[in-house]
Amino acid sequence: MGHQFVLLISASIFCVGATGFLIRKNPLIMFMSVELMLNSVNFLLIGYSSFQKSMDGQIFALMVMTVAAAEVVVGLAIILTIFRTRHDMDVDHINTLKG
Amino acid sequence: MFEFDLFELTRATVTTLVGLTAVLASLGVILCSSPIYCALYLIGHMICLALLFLLYNAEFIAAVQIIVYAGAVMILFLFIIALLGGKKEIQEPSTERSIAIAFVATMLGELFLSATVGPTRPIEGAFDVQTVAEVGGSAKAIGLELFSRHVVAFELASALLLVAAVGIICLSKFSYVPVRRRMK
Amino acid sequence: MFSYCWFILISPLVGFVLLSWFGNGMSRKSAGLLGCGSVGISFLITLGALVGFLLGGENEKGGTSTLYNWVTAGSFSLNMSILVDPLSVFMLLIITGVGFVIHVYSIGYMEKDPEFSRFFSYMNFFIFSMSLLVLAADFFFLIVGWALVGLASYLLIGFWKEKTSAVLAARKAFVMNVIGDVGMVIAAFIIFDHLGTLSFLEVFAAAKSTFRPNDDTILLITVFLLVGAFAKSAQIPLHTWLADAMEGPTPVSALIHAATMVTAGVYLIARCHVLYELAPFTMYLIATVGVVTAIFAGSMAMVQYDIKRVIAYSTMSQLGFMFLAVGVGMYSIAMFHLMTHAFFKALLFLSAGSVIHGLNDEQDIRKMGGLRHSMPITHITFLIGSLALAGFPLTSGFFSKEAILINSYHADMGNIIFWAMAILGAIMTGFYIFRVYFYAFSGQPRTDANAHESPLIMIAPLGLLAFLSLTAGFGGGMIDDFLATYFGTHMPHPDDVLLETIGLSAGLIGIVGAVGFYMTGKDRLEFVKQILAPLYDLLFNKYYVDEIYDFLIVKPTRATGAFLEKRVEKLGIDFAVDQVGFQTREVSRLISFWQSGSVRLYAFNMIVGVVTILMFVVFL
Repeated sequence: MGHQFVLLISASIFCVGATGFLIRKNPLIMFMSVELMLNSVNFLLIGYSSFQKSMDGQIFALMVMTVAAAEVVVGLAIILTIFRTRHDMDVDHINTLKG
Repeated sequence: MFEFDLFELTRATVTTLVGLTAVLASLGVILCSSPIYCALYLIGHMICLALLFLLYNAEFIAAVQIIVYAGAVMILFLFIIALLGGKKEIQEPSTERSIAIAFVATMLGELFLSATVGPTRPIEGAFDVQTVAEVGGSAKAIGLELFSRHVVAFELASALLLVAAVGIICLSKFSYVPVRRRMK
Repeated sequence: MFSYCWFILISPLVGFVLLSWFGNGMSRKSAGLLGCGSVGISFLITLGALVGFLLGGENEKGGTSTLYNWVTAGSFSLNMSILVDPLSVFMLLIITGVGFVIHVYSIGYMEKDPEFSRFFSYMNFFIFSMSLLVLAADFFFLIVGWALVGLASYLLIGFWKEKTSAVLAARKAFVMNVIGDVGMVIAAFIIFDHLGTLSFLEVFAAAKSTFRPNDDTILLITVFLLVGAFAKSAQIPLHTWLADAMEGPTPVSALIHAATMVTAGVYLIARCHVLYELAPFTMYLIATVGVVTAIFAGSMAMVQYDIKRVIAYSTMSQLGFMFLAVGVGMYSIAMFHLMTHAFFKALLFLSAGSVIHGLNDEQDIRKMGGLRHSMPITHITFLIGSLALAGFPLTSGFFSKEAILINSYHADMGNIIFWAMAILGAIMTGFYIFRVYFYAFSGQPRTDANAHESPLIMIAPLGLLAFLSLTAGFGGGMIDDFLATYFGTHMPHPDDVLLETIGLSAGLIGIVGAVGFYMTGKDRLEFVKQILAPLYDLLFNKYYVDEIYDFLIVKPTRATGAFLEKRVEKLGIDFAVDQVGFQTREVSRLISFWQSGSVRLYAFNMIVGVVTILMFVVFL
């Protein structure tokens, strides 16, 4: 029961997150999709940690959470910096690196 | 007829329901037009995930999820949304969207396929449910592992957090000062 | 023992270097002194070598002197060494002796020229190269000297570099000389391939045992060497450069194109006589080409109006006689004629130079006349030279030419046809040179220029050469003895009174012919010209050889070059190279679309990558 369920749910959430990242134009929502993907991985880790009867999975999930927290903070600061002076939140418009 | 285990049945049902709710909430995150609603859906998603963690015997992690993720990170998100906002965004279908969805669907399919693979060889670590309870709970078990076998990773993670903090301050200072100057 | 002979080479080389570097700062006097002095030193050293040979008697064969070992590769070793033997000493005497005399003459001839020092530096360079050619102990340095002499010829013909005709003539001479160089190099390759060495002594010693007579290989070697000899000595078919080479100053014509450089071909064959004796077929070829050239050039000389051109064709013709002599195996006689020819031909050229100098650079004989009154000494020297050239009895030319004529019939490889054509050549010789004499020196002056006698510094060399032209003939026996130690045999003196008489009279018939045409009114001349008009045209235009070469060789080469440049170079090679750059740019332009700056596109790329990898992992 457990293995397939964990895998299926995790895969679903991951793909939903990936879709959201590709589809949306608002950078904040794209960031949230990234969080979704990270969460799905966390769930996978925890699930397998219980099947393997080991704490390594949970510790890894802890690390993932730490990194996710740090990343969110820095990423939001960057988004703030970029989009504070504009009034449109469209990621496609920051393309000065084009070419 | 009474051979089934009520506890297990309940447990399985609850797990399934919570999992499905998590998936639906994530769908809600990506499909809403207003950012605030998306953030709210994400918070809901995280709470479902915390419940799932509980169901899989990871109590400490569930608590950390609620406190750190749903508590701190999402509040930060909400603040930024309040600051920058973003209008309601209307999704118009386009070729790029379809192609992207197609690819992700492929990925989903492949991952589902991988689920048909049987269970991997269990490593059979030392911590099953009884042992964890004997040690003194999930938190203590994690602590015992973290500070003995994974101490390097722990230290590196703390260094990472320090760097992130410093980086934020620098970023905010850079973006703050020129604006001030411009206002003069 | 003869190691001091290195200074024969070093002296003019030093003169060349000093004159090139410091010549502009020197006064004319010191430049002339340096130029003549360096050659004079070489001449004195050569005299010393000669004395050494004479003292050594019959058994002195000379020897090599090695400076250092240049290359040793396996079994092949190449030394910088010189070979001092009777043949090289003989040639050196002519080169340095006549060279010295001409250098002295040039001080007077070139006194008004602004590039005085440059002239003498080139002349010294020439003496150095020619000495190197003659002193070389192996084929390698022979070819080096050969090429350097070609270079000196180029530099000196084109001395007056503002004159377009001079520069073109220099180029023509150089190109034809290079053809000869290529032939020599190929011959050297073949020799090395078969005998493993390039040193003269070793090659000649090994040749007899390695090759059968008329062997394919020896024929190839001798024919390729012949290409070099013919190019250098202006025989048919590589002769067209010599007439145009008269664009250079007259002392250059005298030294290079009469006395020394053009005789290098004869020297080569004499030096390699061992190889040529193994290839009788090539000898026959040499004799044939020589005698045909003699007549060919003689006929052209009869109708030219430029005094230097007549003498140039005369040189070609006399070289033909020399080749005839080596072709029938009479090497000593050829060298004897080489020496006498050097004397009287240089005399003729220098006298002509005196005339040109005195008439302020007039070279057309139709505009000369009556010079025997205004330039008496030049008149006498020119007359002596002409008599020697025509083979008037008791002049040096008489003795050497007689020997050639008789032996062209009596030698083992001689025959009646060679003799008959040689006689014809001798008749022509007498005719053309006295034609010039009568045009220039007798009758009334046909020009307004104030002809004056040349200064002493030009007259003295003329006198010396005239003396030698008269007396050198009596030394034939001594020369034969001297060179016999190299050639191994003495030259025969067949006693055929009939042929001797006919030979004697051949030159006289020519002289009488000239008298008949040019001293007794113009009627006969015009009459003959009208009758033989087509023949006259042919002769005057040098048998149209230049035009034939232009049509057959120059134009196709130019066309091929133009075609290659337009089609192959521009469209082919340039296009390919350009396309490399162009295509790179196009491809990168296409690829640059990927860098759209859009974050979503980058994420999309990542997803695509992940999907692909998953596909591999799951399905394979």
